[in-house]
Amino acid sequence: MEMSKELTLHINGQTYEFTIGRKLGQIPESETLLETLRERLGLTGTKLSCGEGACGCCAVLMDGKAVASCVTLTAECGGKEITTIEGLADPVTGELDPIQEAFLEHNAFQCGFCTPGIIIAVKSLLNANPHPTEDEIKEALSGNFCRCISHYQVIEAVQSIVKGGEQA
Amino acid sequence: MKNFEHSNAASFEQAAQELQAAKYSQPIAGGTDLLGTLKTNILPNYPSLVVNLKTIPDAAYIRDMGDKVAMGALTTLADVEKSDVFTGELKAVAEAAHSVATPIIRNSATVGGNLCQDVRCWYYRYPDAVGGKLLCARKGGDECYAIQGRNQYHSIMGGMHTGHNACSTECPAGTDIPAYMEKIRANDWDGAAEIILRVNPMPMLTARVCPHTCQTKCNQCQHGDSVSIHSVERALGDYILAHADKFYPAPAQETGKKVSIVGGGPAGLTAAYYLRKAGHSVTIYEKMEEAGGVMMYGIPEYRLPKHYVRDLVKAIVGMGVVIKNNTEVGKDITLEEIKSASDTVFLDTGAWKQPILGIDGESLTQFGLNFLVEVKKFMTKQIGKEVLVCGGGNVAMDVALTAVRLGAQKVKLVCLEQRDEMPASAEEIARAEEEGVEIFNGWGLKKVITGADGKITGLESMNCLSVRDESGRFNPSYGEETRVFSSDCIILATGQKVDIDFLGEKYREELKSARGLIEVGEHRDTRAPGIYAGGDAAYGPSVAIKAIRDGGIAARSMSRYMGFEPEVPARDKGFTKFDPERIYVTKGAVEKDTPVAERCLDKEDSTSLTMEEARAEAGRCMNCGCYSVNASDMATVMVALDAEIHTTEQTFKAADFFSVMHSVDQLKPGELVTEIQLPKMPGYRTGYLKMRLREAIDFAVTALAYAYKEEDGVIVDARLVAGGIAPVPVRLTAAEQVLIGKKKSAELAQEAFAAAMKDAQPMKENAYKLQEVKAQIVRSLEL
Repeated sequence: MEMSKELTLHINGQTYEFTIGRKLGQIPESETLLETLRERLGLTGTKLSCGEGACGCCAVLMDGKAVASCVTLTAECGGKEITTIEGLADPVTGELDPIQEAFLEHNAFQCGFCTPGIIIAVKSLLNANPHPTEDEIKEALSGNFCRCISHYQVIEAVQSIVKGGEQA
Repeated sequence: MKNFEHSNAASFEQAAQELQAAKYSQPIAGGTDLLGTLKTNILPNYPSLVVNLKTIPDAAYIRDMGDKVAMGALTTLADVEKSDVFTGELKAVAEAAHSVATPIIRNSATVGGNLCQDVRCWYYRYPDAVGGKLLCARKGGDECYAIQGRNQYHSIMGGMHTGHNACSTECPAGTDIPAYMEKIRANDWDGAAEIILRVNPMPMLTARVCPHTCQTKCNQCQHGDSVSIHSVERALGDYILAHADKFYPAPAQETGKKVSIVGGGPAGLTAAYYLRKAGHSVTIYEKMEEAGGVMMYGIPEYRLPKHYVRDLVKAIVGMGVVIKNNTEVGKDITLEEIKSASDTVFLDTGAWKQPILGIDGESLTQFGLNFLVEVKKFMTKQIGKEVLVCGGGNVAMDVALTAVRLGAQKVKLVCLEQRDEMPASAEEIARAEEEGVEIFNGWGLKKVITGADGKITGLESMNCLSVRDESGRFNPSYGEETRVFSSDCIILATGQKVDIDFLGEKYREELKSARGLIEVGEHRDTRAPGIYAGGDAAYGPSVAIKAIRDGGIAARSMSRYMGFEPEVPARDKGFTKFDPERIYVTKGAVEKDTPVAERCLDKEDSTSLTMEEARAEAGRCMNCGCYSVNASDMATVMVALDAEIHTTEQTFKAADFFSVMHSVDQLKPGELVTEIQLPKMPGYRTGYLKMRLREAIDFAVTALAYAYKEEDGVIVDARLVAGGIAPVPVRLTAAEQVLIGKKKSAELAQEAFAAAMKDAQPMKENAYKLQEVKAQIVRSLEL
């Protein structure tokens, strides 16, 4: 019989040991990262919407860059640093990330469903480009859909932290 | 998503091996395309194994190599768009990468994956879970739903064949029906003739006698009548025969090889045509007075006037084929004698023998095929008053109609099969009934009833419960009921048998099959080296087009056996087109028919379409193929910049790699794209323009990759490649030629556009794309 493959995931600063396989409790090869986060680890801040990478609701950070967890296989995440919306706050103090604070400040959401993905996309942008222009912000968020039209407040929120010099 | 095995590759070689070893496997790079197709289960075969390429070390890089730039296949599009290497003269690469999907997707999606991605057509991508499977021509089906459906994002340059044309697949000879239809639409009758003659040297005959089951597979049947393929074929066949000198030329060179053909039927004449064309010396041994086989003797004049057969035979003789008539092999000459004087021999003696049914009084009946052969004799003789024809196939229909036209007072037909099971074609059955033949379905022959004088008075029949047994074999079962049909002339058209006694004792034992036919292999080779066979003699009684197929296959095998590799005609390049107006015509063309009262035995019942009518009917052919457009933005740029695509096995020029709809189809099992190399283009200004409905996550409605070299305001070199307008990226060579050597201006851009789109043929909803192509040409020139 084939040995189960080991899989070590680093998510929000924690290490999780899994095995890949078809038995109860194992991660099947076809499981997406989104499924692992929501259904195994209870990290339900990351949302499932379109399921094909188009809407941005499932965005998580992989080694600091936003990726669509719904079209990412968990089996391929070994050794990667994964951060979800739950992992942005300071684990010790519980203090929110400045982006999250800014979103609260500017009411940059309505129903809030797409907001975790948007915040992850902003984090990804600011990791690479701490002082984006408005166009760069819009471009970076062009893969995040919002049906409540929170975009205006989102851009204001992002601009507030860029201008305020409180880099993420 | 259904499960699959998964492995992380340590090298391209390992990945290739694993992919090759699994039955159905898929490589995964970024996964942004593949996982979508797996979730919606739209791939023809769901992979049992997915091999991750991201774990291959040193496969994601962008390197300046001096006069070119190399890019690892696993490089993410995000890294490509941000690379300094692509800021200057190779800016088009960054612009194309940037235009793909969204920033989130570009963080995962790779260059290699982008180049290898599958088509985005909404019919192709239609999730199976919603309303059932849409099996389009790209997915093993045979129809492109965009042709008559919503097609605003589809091709304006035509489609491409997918190798699944239902009509061609249905044709035993594999006639490329859509291809000759396209030539006829373009009024290129010589081109059409060349295509049909590749597989069938006698369309003027098959058009008249073939059951044309191709028409039942025509996708126009979903909208109305099928394309009247036989009518178009008939007009084309008549054209070919009218220009026989052009289409049946003597070969330019003799090979010095000798071929003998036993039987001048459709298979033999076909083999003779192709073998003679290849330069071999060909002799046909024909037992009858004239060649043509069943075409000559078995099919009534009113359906196939004999002058067509004679003219065809004359044309084939004109090529230098020798026909020895009245020469019966096995009597006048032995097969051994023929074999020893020939390099190869082809046997196609057909099925002419009367089967013995074993019913009482059988000797008093007539054999249908003999009746047709000797119909001239019957014409001078008194035909029975009440004729009873037994059989449900086309021969039975021919016999019944011939009897009617010979003056029988009443013609009845009994057959085992129920109406919908009758082997005769629906048209033939309708024709028989139209002329007063009364058909009784579901009756089997029990015995012939005779009067005191020994003459026939009728047939006692028994009801047939089923014709075939559970395994589908012919094995009729009968009930208790009996019925007497009165008749003074019973003609049995219940099938014909193959007689292989002519082979002589030695060859008969060597060549015969378990069914008493000549045993042949895939190449129509028999057990005796150098002897080939085909047609009814090898397969039992069937249709002419199957004999024609056999003659063609045998001719190729025989040429090869004699040391001459047969020529394979090059497939037409360019996109398949259809008539965007006429495909909506739902009524098929109908050949003019003689009124029932005027029909006779010696004149053809129907009249061929005129060439104009045939051309109009050809306009109804949808030229089924795939009319989607290329999805990859990077591919368009690669073609414009003349990139090289390196794989684990070989190197492709981008223009070649993207010359087929799904480039990966050109790769061997397990072969993977590893690197892309782009020549640097000093002095060029390049870019990528993409028109789409949304700024993000959208595919190109039209796209243009360009590279210009200008000196003193004059364009000295131009490369333009359009995306989103055809199944593959299209180099706008005609536009480039207009631009090169000229000073740019709005008028020049217009001229270039007109040249580029000369061959465009938009579909119902996408003519607007032309304007977008024009706008992009103007913008690329920075006017």
